[in-house]
Amino acid sequence: MEGWLTRITTNTCLNILRGSKRRSELTISDLSEDEDKWLEEQLSDPEQQSVENSVVAADLADRLLSVLSPEDQQALLMIDGEQASVKEVAEATGWSESKVKVRAFRARKKVREAMERLLGSKKLSAKEKPATSESR
Amino acid sequence: MKDQHITEVLDNAALATLSPSELDEIRAHARDCEPCSNAFAAAQLSTLVIKERTQAVVEPSPFFQTRVMAALREQQAVESEPAMWRLWKSARGLVSSMALTTAALAVLSFMVSAPAPAASDQTVSALSAESVILGQDADDLTYEQVMNAIYEDDEDK
Repeated sequence: MEGWLTRITTNTCLNILRGSKRRSELTISDLSEDEDKWLEEQLSDPEQQSVENSVVAADLADRLLSVLSPEDQQALLMIDGEQASVKEVAEATGWSESKVKVRAFRARKKVREAMERLLGSKKLSAKEKPATSESR
Repeated sequence: MKDQHITEVLDNAALATLSPSELDEIRAHARDCEPCSNAFAAAQLSTLVIKERTQAVVEPSPFFQTRVMAALREQQAVESEPAMWRLWKSARGLVSSMALTTAALAVLSFMVSAPAPAASDQTVSALSAESVILGQDADDLTYEQVMNAIYEDDEDK
């Protein structure tokens, strides 16, 4: 009964996610001012890895997840976020375990690459800032 | 691992599930490899924001419950139908396409095999009345073919 309900609720969530807009790519200009600032703080102290403003971090996660398909989002949130096992995700979604693994791998890779691009742009703009202030 | 790039290791499993020794190896490699260092930093931040996303309490939309209940009713309605009817509903497309294909093949095979009797007539006319009467190749001939061969031979004379 519980598994049946979980699957119906999961499928309803996936249907809702399918209706939301999906981005092909995420750039630094898509971020809000708070998200941009949060990223800058993380860059200045990478070892700290603390989340002072969790709302901003969650919003940034939403933006990162928007580059993924609803199914990939589901797999990544359950495995990396909720620490669910591959078997648990397979039971909740009705996918095979290998499909869950493939989706999680693909999602992790896409999100990491999107984050890498954002960090790269931030580093680049941080390097340009002192150069422009020196020239003045 | 020290000489291999670590991006695949980062994508294969959640960072939280990696053992301390695996993490040490990743850090050791990332110290000397700039692309991998960037990838590791991005993976750490991604994991952090995704964890925050799952911990954030999200108030569902007022229509969410309605949608779940509608999906439940739909599922219950499907399951209350007899198993054979459900099987037929899911397979009727396949069955009808198979029936159509079979009918098309039957029509085609009928049309292709239609000229065949003309060939057998030629074979019969090539036989002489004597060979028929003497019983040569008699096993392969029908009664009609035997009669045709005899009468055709008589007409020629």
